[in-house]
Amino acid sequence: MSVFYNKFERHAHGEGLKGISTHYCPGCGHGLIHKYIAEAIEELGIQDRTVAVSPVGCAVFMYYYLDVGNTQAAHGRAPAVAIGHKVANPEAIVFAYQGDGDLASIGLAEIIQACQLGLPMTFIFVNNAIYGMTGGQMAPTTLMGQKTATTPTGRSRIAGEPLRMAEIVAQISGPIYVERCALFDPKQRMRAKKAITKAFRLQAENRGLSFVEILSECPTHLKLSPHEAEEWVKDHMLPIFPLGVKKDEEVEPWFKLGPASFEPENVLKVIGGTNQKPPRYGSGFPTHIDPTDISIKFAGAGGDGAQTIAMLTTKAAINEGWDSTHIPSYGPESRGGTSYADVRIASGEVLSPACPRPHVLVAFNPPSLEKFGPTVRPGGTVIYDRSVIPEPPALPDNLTVIPVPCSEIAMDMGKRMVKNVVAMGALQAATRMFPPESFLIPLRSALKDNASVLDLNIEAFERGRKACEEAMAGL
Amino acid sequence: MISEKSRPKPFLLPQTCKACGRCISACPKHCIELGTEINPLTGQTPIVINYDQCNGCGLCIAACPEPHGLMAEPGEIDFELVDPAHLFGHRTSDAPEPVALPDQRVALPRVEPMILKGNHASAVGALLAGCRHFFGYPITPSTEGAELLAKLLPKLDGVFVQAVSEVATVNMMYGCGGAGQRCMTFTSSPGFSLMLEGISYMIGAELPGVFFNVMRGGPGLGNIGPEQADIKLCCRGLGHGNSHAPVLAPATPQEMLDLTMVAFDMAFKYRSPVILASDGYLGQMTGRVTLPDFMIRPGLPEWAVFGDRMHRRNLHTSILLIEPDLEKHNQHLNAKYAQMFREEQRSDAFLCDDAEWLIIACNTPARMAKGAISELREQGIRVGLFRPISLFPFPVDALRPLLGRVRGVIMVEAGPGQLEDEVRLSLSHAGVTQLPPITRVRHGGGVLPQQHEIVEAVRALARPAKGGVA
Repeated sequence: MSVFYNKFERHAHGEGLKGISTHYCPGCGHGLIHKYIAEAIEELGIQDRTVAVSPVGCAVFMYYYLDVGNTQAAHGRAPAVAIGHKVANPEAIVFAYQGDGDLASIGLAEIIQACQLGLPMTFIFVNNAIYGMTGGQMAPTTLMGQKTATTPTGRSRIAGEPLRMAEIVAQISGPIYVERCALFDPKQRMRAKKAITKAFRLQAENRGLSFVEILSECPTHLKLSPHEAEEWVKDHMLPIFPLGVKKDEEVEPWFKLGPASFEPENVLKVIGGTNQKPPRYGSGFPTHIDPTDISIKFAGAGGDGAQTIAMLTTKAAINEGWDSTHIPSYGPESRGGTSYADVRIASGEVLSPACPRPHVLVAFNPPSLEKFGPTVRPGGTVIYDRSVIPEPPALPDNLTVIPVPCSEIAMDMGKRMVKNVVAMGALQAATRMFPPESFLIPLRSALKDNASVLDLNIEAFERGRKACEEAMAGL
Repeated sequence: MISEKSRPKPFLLPQTCKACGRCISACPKHCIELGTEINPLTGQTPIVINYDQCNGCGLCIAACPEPHGLMAEPGEIDFELVDPAHLFGHRTSDAPEPVALPDQRVALPRVEPMILKGNHASAVGALLAGCRHFFGYPITPSTEGAELLAKLLPKLDGVFVQAVSEVATVNMMYGCGGAGQRCMTFTSSPGFSLMLEGISYMIGAELPGVFFNVMRGGPGLGNIGPEQADIKLCCRGLGHGNSHAPVLAPATPQEMLDLTMVAFDMAFKYRSPVILASDGYLGQMTGRVTLPDFMIRPGLPEWAVFGDRMHRRNLHTSILLIEPDLEKHNQHLNAKYAQMFREEQRSDAFLCDDAEWLIIACNTPARMAKGAISELREQGIRVGLFRPISLFPFPVDALRPLLGRVRGVIMVEAGPGQLEDEVRLSLSHAGVTQLPPITRVRHGGGVLPQQHEIVEAVRALARPAKGGVA
């Protein structure tokens, strides 16, 4: 059979008998299931496209045997690895093979998500009611009363009841075909083989996800002879794990992905790169504020819009050809408490992005003004919203303190939200760091998808400038 | 319908029989029974077939769990019964020897500098590096990068998968990286902890992937402020076993983009995960970012398990059952780590040439330190900054010559001293045992060292208080 390697080189370097026989115990069901998978792959002609994901458990070495692309996953994670392979190459036929500890215990989240996504993949779930590789401990599918290494007196109520994975998976909308089969007699084996073949065919036809649970024998840990183990599965597992088709939906082929684009023009368009140089309106670095490095702090409550105008100011500065950074305040403050933003503008490189000693403070509420007012450098400027802060705290004499009725202007315009843009207008008028147009360019760009409010914002900016000039005249 | 006479009879090499007896109960004619003779190769008693009664129904073959067990009589083939290796031939597979399809460096038209948030800059870097697959689980403060890729990847016919957890994320990357694709995730400290097992598997199986860890305050749930407290995990604790991977620490939005591209290069050069260790502050920082003049159109490496004929013979696994095999594999990994140490040390020295005092810092604290340095220089204090960009391998070659020239080192960290540990350990490994006196400006829990604190700490060293010892 060509889907099995002729010689199992990976099994102890293929030496001696290991080159031709599996590592499974006599009477184990894994070998049979491997065989039916190999036959299905051969029958469907998908050997070259198949990626087999081996689990952790006795079948960890499935890659010794199957001559397909092979990968071996961490315990329980085979479905996640399978998803990685399927989206990497949608043409690949990806199947994961998992035992009951792997799939139904440690890997529950992964199998449920794979089924929820429902990408065309094939899952083979081998349920033998026990942990094989680790030495016969209780599995999530261990029967009530069954003695294992970790239920020495038999599984009792406190250890929970066996999980019926086929039924659970069938309830998820993703899978299109779910069946539980067994291996204990020729009829069951024929059904199992048919189910496995169908599960691969549905993937090859891009129809959807299939899940085949197979009740299998572990004579070693059941401490039974191979034949007794077959009888045990029939007599004891069947009543708890009824065989049969749990779900079988007719689905048209739907799955298609990519191919991904690597065209430079397209990539640039998607990331928003443009060769259009933004116009510069300023004549040079605003050295009247600082020779090389300007700090501006914007502070208010969450929702005041301090971050937005800080960002617009940074954009204006970068468009003017300077280095600039904006960092928002951090933590729960940004969810409604104090929100502040630091903007640095440097003629060379912005060194530290923080503004512990700002040249300019724009404050929207009393706590902001109280907290940051005293940090402003001598000779610096403070702009505050007079509508919200009617009685400002005492600030050092060496500051220019400008009250601007930002909120009142905004409310007068019918949109309280634009008070931040009023403040930005005031910032321009108070500092003249860049001409008004420098601030309007990023404002237009930010509102390009929302043209209806653009005029309102431009008006807010202008009224802020005017109000600031009036306030300064009155100082 | 094949006539009974022409149907092939079952055939068995006795040494492949484990005497499970499944074929015995499967045979409707009762012509198979357990043998009595012990096979000297296996110690089992293989079944014997009474061919007189056999009608070639094949049910015993379907019941045999061994791939090379009961099979249809091979007819003409001349079997050499003694040597199974000879019997089944030396070729294990007819799959071809895979050949690498090389990556292409494609010219990118010149564009104006962009204005990007740090986390966004990294996402853009990933796209330019040829990444078209993203897997992730939302965690603050790393979400912007993932959100941008969720928006942009579909426009490039790429794939964005929101995984059920960070554990699933890293294993999806194991699969996708294993298929030879460039994939990445954004996460933050608690999520990164969850990924470590998978990263160990990726290192073991030698699979590429880029992990962007926006480090936040810990331990436990901690908070979402910036903390440099995963340096230990990144440099010395990437899961269990002998696991190292390159770790890069950006400090500006520009470096978020540039180093993300470097990370993808390294991931494929070394077939290894690569960690970008950033901090929450930097991820939120908006700045000017210049795009490179090229982008990557990825090829397909020869080792990929892609799901095609070319790569059929490949296997990814981290299990090596035979001890000397695993030891050899670890020696191979050690050789890779040594190569990283030789070729990947990256650092930046700011005003170090005449420095009497040397600040060592990375990420945002390094920016704070730069601000402090400009203030201190104005006061005539000769202080410089050594900024490791690669934390693993630590850039000892560049640091070592500076140490002999300075009067003291000031470690500036937003964390409990894991960078200092890395400095000390790396220097110690490099044979540097004499260190200048070390002073510390440290904060934790999301609090950043402030510029004035750095200034004060250096001033206290440079101009000791009256009566103090110089």
